[in-house]
Formats: sequence, structure tokens, C-alpha cells
Amino acid sequence: MKKAALFMACALAVTALAGCSSSSSTAETTAAAGGATEAAGGSEGGEVNMIMTWWGNQVRNERTQQALDLYAEQNPGVHIEGQFSEWSDYWNKLATSAAGQAMPDLLQMDYMYVDQYVKSGLLLDLTPYIEDGTLDTSNISENTMASGTVDGGVYAICAGINSPALLYNKTLTDSLGIEIKDNMTMDEFFALSKQIYEQSGVKTNVAYGIGESWSAYFVRGLGFSCFTEDGTGMGGSAEEWVPFFEVYTKGLEEGWLIDPGVFAEISVGSVEQEPLVYGSTPETQSWCAFYNSNQLGAMQNAAPEGMEIGITTWPSYDPVKSNYLKSSQFFSVGATTAYPEEAVKVLDFLTNSSDANNILLGERGVPANSVIAEEITPQLSEQDQEVTRFINEVVTPNCSPIDPPQPDGSNEVYDLLNRTVEQVCYGQLDAQTAANTFYEGAVEIMSAK
Amino acid sequence: MNKKKNLTFKQFLDQEHIAGYIFSLPFTIGFLMFMIVPMGISLYYSFCDYNILTPAVFSGADNYVKMFTDDPTFWQTIGVTFYFALVSVPLRLIFALIVALILLKTTKATGFYRAAYYLPSIIGGSVAVAVLWRRMWATDGVINHLLGAIGIETSFAWLGNTKTAIWMLIILAVWQFGSSMLVFLSSLKQIPASLYEAATVDGANKWQQFWKVTLPLLTPTIFFNLVMQMINGFLAFTQCYIITQGRPMNSTLFYTVYMYQQSFEFYNTGYGAALAWVMLAIISLITLVLFATKKFWVYDGGF
Amino acid sequence: MRAKRTIGKIIYHVLVCGFGLIMIYPLVWMVMSAFKPTNTIFTTAGQLIPETFTVENYINGWKGFAGISFGVFFRNSLFISIVATIGTVLVSSVVAYGLARCKFRGRRILFVAMLLSMMLPAQVLMIPQYLWYQKLGWVGSYKPLIIPYFFAIQGFFVYLMMNFIDGIPRELDEAAKIDGCSYYGIFGRIIFPLITPSLITGCIFSFMWRWDDFLSALLYINESAKYPVSLALKLFSDPGSSSDYGAMFAMASLSILPAVIMFICLQKYLVEGISTSGLKG
Repeated sequence: MKKAALFMACALAVTALAGCSSSSSTAETTAAAGGATEAAGGSEGGEVNMIMTWWGNQVRNERTQQALDLYAEQNPGVHIEGQFSEWSDYWNKLATSAAGQAMPDLLQMDYMYVDQYVKSGLLLDLTPYIEDGTLDTSNISENTMASGTVDGGVYAICAGINSPALLYNKTLTDSLGIEIKDNMTMDEFFALSKQIYEQSGVKTNVAYGIGESWSAYFVRGLGFSCFTEDGTGMGGSAEEWVPFFEVYTKGLEEGWLIDPGVFAEISVGSVEQEPLVYGSTPETQSWCAFYNSNQLGAMQNAAPEGMEIGITTWPSYDPVKSNYLKSSQFFSVGATTAYPEEAVKVLDFLTNSSDANNILLGERGVPANSVIAEEITPQLSEQDQEVTRFINEVVTPNCSPIDPPQPDGSNEVYDLLNRTVEQVCYGQLDAQTAANTFYEGAVEIMSAK
Repeated sequence: MNKKKNLTFKQFLDQEHIAGYIFSLPFTIGFLMFMIVPMGISLYYSFCDYNILTPAVFSGADNYVKMFTDDPTFWQTIGVTFYFALVSVPLRLIFALIVALILLKTTKATGFYRAAYYLPSIIGGSVAVAVLWRRMWATDGVINHLLGAIGIETSFAWLGNTKTAIWMLIILAVWQFGSSMLVFLSSLKQIPASLYEAATVDGANKWQQFWKVTLPLLTPTIFFNLVMQMINGFLAFTQCYIITQGRPMNSTLFYTVYMYQQSFEFYNTGYGAALAWVMLAIISLITLVLFATKKFWVYDGGF
Repeated sequence: MRAKRTIGKIIYHVLVCGFGLIMIYPLVWMVMSAFKPTNTIFTTAGQLIPETFTVENYINGWKGFAGISFGVFFRNSLFISIVATIGTVLVSSVVAYGLARCKFRGRRILFVAMLLSMMLPAQVLMIPQYLWYQKLGWVGSYKPLIIPYFFAIQGFFVYLMMNFIDGIPRELDEAAKIDGCSYYGIFGRIIFPLITPSLITGCIFSFMWRWDDFLSALLYINESAKYPVSLALKLFSDPGSSSDYGAMFAMASLSILPAVIMFICLQKYLVEGISTSGLKG
């Protein structure tokens, strides 16, 4: 009896202890971490504790934290805790925190989500801070600012400019004596893919499984937007979507489209496993990959020895109408932050300070502030300089303003799109049926929102 | 203090039902505190139009109606999940039992053998397994090379084919039989040696011993593993999520992964919650059936 | 006869070894890949032995993120996993005894509740649980990762131990009862020592599951320096830019070590000497 009682007591004691030990060591964190809402009560006078969250890899974590530390050093009393997660984890965590009304003070945002977060009232409107000069945007182009603007309010500041970019196996095309020119049209692209396939057996991957930006880009070239201006419905008509699926049926017919089975063996959308650099035989290789300009360096690193990666624009029926500059990601301020003023100052620091950008070195893309961008260019790697040149000389003169941020429901629509393309590639649907199925499904999804 | 009073208190505590309440108190508190509230909230969400970012709005049985009348993917994932669970669970248990029997006898190397067979369960859901598994079954992967070595030249895309892809996930699940094996191992040793001695005296050979002693006495553990693995099988998530993501053409899309997509990728979180509760209903039905069969084949059991 | 035995033994070892190799191949592959230069991991995935050995991945991986080394993550994981495991195993055995041996009203309901709580996918409880822990003020601390386990919240362990207790002859209890032993005494002196194998099994499982769990850490831990290994491992990859698979595999190889060491140390208690002592009581 005694033994048992003792044992029970032990168990309970351990419980209590566990509770205590973790609570004492985490007391401060709880206050800081719940962000905004909880910190508000505590420290009015001097100390400012803020949380900034982002996704990214080792390099980004390192550099961003360094920049934040520098800010804290220059502004005594301000402490910014950096929290980093992996991409999909990041959005899970952010959504969950949003459900608990505990948004971080500062956060990294994506074009894909900004609209939903703004419409749910989770991001702070930066317009007043821009007007009173706390946040200086004078060196940021109008197009770039527009991409973070929803319903007239500025909610997100560009953290780095990039653009869609066709990364290709330059070693292969050079050896075949093919010259890839920028702003190519769809017909040129078809001819090229066919020629490369006939001469080398290497196939073409047309954004399989990652059709989000590609479809939007493609239909812009046909003269309409994927979604309507107000974000409540689908743009175009079923008939107008047919050419999009015809790219794949044409590729199947002519043989240059990569076998969809290949994608079951890789992580789709992962640079390291992209058929451009990963495939071991011509049938599992692609001569190009539909990516973004800021991924050139990563793709080159992932490429086997002796393969040079080139960069050009995505093909389109109307390249100038299709192409656009976008933000690789944004910085935003959480609507519930206790220190809006302070948070915006940090944003200003990350955007306009040359000290900060000398640490960040355009890791997120070409800096939005054109003066800063110019300033850091000499310090960039060869590939990043090439990217800057590509953005400035190739895309900027030949592009149109980007579509409004993707509306609620777009994720589901794009999932449907990718699944429809999959069926087309497996030869189960022709372009006409695919367009009909997709368009009907997409309209239904959008109307349910 | 008063010896008599003390004694009655002791006696009070030592009544069978009071002891039962006291022993099960931690779970009762834990369940009420940590499970019942979240479960309740999620049940409520399943009757709501909810997208995480904005507060939930009650919408009646809409989600359930949509599921059964207007969602072909729902039915497809049900099919995939049943196929996966009903094939992989029995295979996994059979493997686990056979290996446990083999590794029961103790030699110097047994510790390492056991570790080796248990290892796959430890590294279960890591990215490395995902990469490797896809590599192994690739068109130019190890498996096709091995087939080539025994004279079957092929560049079959195991993962790229809608008929075979699910089997790659089943094999992966079977390969990770370690945890069931452990449970078998520990309960095999619980069988009293005296029973085997008695059987030997009666002239039973090893084979007869297995059928007459080992297997009957193991049935409660088999039942336990069966129930647990069935639940796990229907709730399987990782294999699909890290390896196929449902490709090709949703032929490997697990129910839970679909639920996850709805909840966290499409932000139809209310619908996701409804999917979860339907799964709970399915699993509890299956478990109920299993418990109903218990008296026919499980040797002496408490519940 | 003797020769036949030896041959049998050899066959046994060859078979078990051979099959064992297949079982651990992926692990060996991962460890080996971690010694390859990062950019060759995928291109040479077919071959096991690296052409050039490098320990750079280990060095680079151990460095961790933004000044937080992997040592910190390991320490965090060890703390969470060990404390939660102790709680789970001890408390589950207590609850299991109550459910298996004592008859009381509500026993069935508790058992059903336990099973039901296992049948809801963890992913669907993420948000409700978060909201609830937020109400309790636990977000941002290790509490949600530890305290629930001191209330036998994982039915698996309770059920596992119930199954074991059912296997112990009731005569033992009754004999002890006649000797004047209380229910608590029976549990402490007889049942608890006899279910050692299931306690060990429980330790192995619980440690491994707590170690691998990243979902609750993701939701409830806000400070990067408090991340466990499971969460930190994922930070090496970023689909939007580049990923460092070499460092990831290197750290993943290291991260399974605690579970493996624990298994090798504990497995002998799993099966040794319990069976005979059982009946003698």
C-alpha cells in the first residue's frame, strides 16, 4: 500500500515538476510569443519585444537573423525574435496562430496568400505609415508596390523582385547549335522542343504539377486573366482555356512531352529533383524548367558537373502581355501587433537600409529599392548578377503589371488544374474535354467561396 | 490518529470500485481536460463553414451532404484507404509475428538482429525514406536492375502506374512492421515456460507446440495489434504525404491526406473536420465488428 | 545430429542476416549519402558508396541555424522525450491496472473513450487543441508537449498494458488478497514488476514517437532556440530556393541515434527471465 501510494505521489510530483520547470523557464517566452496580444500588457515603457517569422533555408535564416540583430543593436530596447519554419509548416503555423488571433508582429508573406490574409483582417494597412514617412517607398517602382496592394491599401512590401524564368540546359542547346532567344513565342517553343527531342532525345517538362504561375502567365498572353478582377470568379471561358491544354496534347503527339510517370519518382517543384538536372536518361530529362529568376543559383548548384544553366523568359503567345515582375515574397505587419510603429520601422530598415541589405545580399530576390539594388550588385555572385541583368534588361522593358493577388479558392482551382493536366498527360483527356472539365470545376469552386 | 478511523479509511480505499476510480483517475482527468474540448470544437467545426482565418459560421449538415452527394474525390480516397488498410495490416501482422518467432531465441547476435528489424520503424517518416523509396522503384532504380539481373528486362514505372503505385506504399508499410514485432516479442516471453515443458512431456513437437500453446495464448496480443494497426492503417498519412502526394491521378490519395489538403491547403477547414468525423465513424464501426468477433477466437480476455 | 544442428544454425544466421540487410539498407543509404558532397546526392542516388568522402555535411549541419547549433535541438528533444515518456509509461500502467483488474461503473465508458480518442486524425485536432492550449496560456512553452502525457492521454499505452495485465493469472492477485494485500499493494508489488516487458516496450515506443513528433512542436514552440530535432531537420529544405539535403541527411542520421541506442540497451530486458519468475510470483 505504502509503496503504491508513494508511487502515485511520485507520478504526480513529476507532473507538477514538469509543469514548474517548464513554466519558470518559459515565462518570458509565453509573453513574447503569443505576440502581440499578450505582450501589450507588459512593457509600455522601454522594452519592445517583437516576433518576426519567415520560411527559408539555412542561408536566409542566418542572414535575416543577423540583420535583425543589427537593428536591435542600433535601437536599444528593441528586441526581435526570429522564428523560421519550412514552407508548408510555416503556413500551417501561421494559419493556426491566426485562428487564435496571435499573429506575429512581422512576417514574411506570399503572393498566393496575401489576399486571403488581408480580407480576413489579419494584416496591417501600411498606407498611413507610408504617408507620414515612417516607411519610405520612394525608391520602389509603382508596379512593385501594386503587387502588395489589396483594395487600395498597401499590406505587403516586396522583399525581393523576381520574375518567371525558363531555366534551361545551356550546355545541351549549345552542343546542338541552338540559340535560345528571350521573349520567345509559343510556336518557337514548340519548334524548339521538337527539334531538341529529335536531335538528342531529351524531352520537355511544361511546369508539370506546378501550373499555378504558368497557367496565369499563359492565359495573360491570350488576353484574359485566370481570375476576374474582383477575385470572385474565373476569367475567360472554357473555350478560351483549350489552347492551354493543347500545349500538352501537342507535346504528347509529337513525343517531346516528358512522361508523367517520371514525376511520381521525384518531389515535384523541388529544384534538386527537377528533371532538368536530375534525370539520368534522355527520356527522364527535360531541357528546360519553368521556375523563377531567383532560383537560377540554386538550379546551377543542383546541376551535375559540366552543365551550365541558362535563363530566359517563359514562352507565350504574347510575351509582353504575359510577362511580369513579381515579388518573390513580401514582408508584412500583423494586424494585432502591439507595436505597429516599431514594426513598420523594422520593415523600413529591411527595405531601405544599406547596412541591412549588405547582410541580406538579395537572398530573397533583387531588392525592391532600386538604389539599394544597384548598390549591392557588385557584391553578388555571378549568377545573381546575371539574374539582376535579366530582370533589368530583359523583363522590365517587356512586361505588363501583374494580376491582383490570388483570391480565396485559387489554391483549390490550381490543384484541379494540375490534376487535369495530369489526366491529359496520361492521355485520358483531350484538350477540349480537359478545358471543359477544368473550367466547370473551377467555376463551382469559386462560386462556393 | 485514531487507529480505527484510519483503518476504515483504508478499507474504504480498498474497495474494488473505489480502487478502480482512483487508478483510472489520471486518464479521466486527461480525457476531460485535453481531449473532450478539442474533439467537441472539431465536431462543431464539421457543421460550419470555416476557413481558419475568419470565425466559423454554422452551416448545418452542408459539409456532410456535399461529401456524400457531390465529391467524387471523397469516394475515391475511401476506396484507396480501404484497399491500403485491408491489404497492408494483415501482411504487416503476419510478418511481425513470423519475425518475432524467429528472433525469440536468444543468441549472441539477437540484439543486433532485433535492432536491424526494428530500425525501419524508427526512420519511418523521414525525407530520406521518401527520396530513397522513390529511387528504389524508379524506372532505372534498384528493383528494375535486380529484375534485369534475373532475366526480366524492364523499365516499368512502378510509382508512375496507377495500378501499382499503391503497392509501393503498402510494401513500405509492411516493411515497417517493427512496432508490432516488439509487442509480439514481449508477449511471447510472457507465455509461461512451464506450459511448453508440459507440452513436451505430452510429446508435442515444435509445430504442435506452436498451434496448441503459442498461438492460442498469443491471440489477445494478435487482437490488440490488429485493432491498433487497423486504426493506424485507416489513419495512415505519412507514406502518402511524403512519397506520392496522391500521384498518379489520386490513385494513392489517402483519406487523411485529402482531409489535410481540404483543411490546410484549400482552407475548407469545416469540410476537413467533417471528413475526420466520418472517418471516426468508419473506424469505430470496424473496431466494433472486430470486438464482436473476439469471443470466437481470442483466448480469455478482459474486454 | 550435431552437424545437422550447426548447418541449421548457419542457415538461420545467413537468412536472418540477409533479410536484416534489406531491412537496414535505407538507413545505410542515408548515412552514406550524408558523406557525399551535397550536389551529388541525387545524381548518384543509385550507388551506395560515395566517390569522395566528406564530413562537411556533418559540420555544416551541426552548425544549425542563425547561431543555434544542433546540440541545442538535441538537448530540447531529449528533455521533451524523456520527461514525456516517463509520464506516459508510469501513468499508463496505473490506469491500465485500474481498467484491467477493478470492476467499477463507467469502466466500459472509459475504455470506449480511450479507443475513440485514437480514431480521430491528429491533423484535425490541431486547431482546436491550439485554441484550447492558448486559453490555458500554454502556447510558447513545452507544457502542451509534456503535461498531457502525464494523464495517459495516449490510449495505445493503456491498452497495451491492459493486454499484458490480462495475461497475468488472476490467481496471483487472489493469493495476495488473502495475504492481506490491498489493490494498491497488488499493483505495486505484483503487477508492476510483472509487466516490465510492456513497460520497456512502452518506453521504446513513447520515446520514439515523442522524438519524431514535430506537429505539436511546430504549433506550440515559438522560439527557434527551443525547437526539437524533428522540427529543426525540416529547416534544411526550402522548395522555393535551395535545400541542403546533405546536411539534412547528416543530421537525420544523428537524430536516430538516441532511439537506436535506447533500443539496443533496453531490448534485452524485453525478453529476459520474466517468464519463469512470473508464475513463481
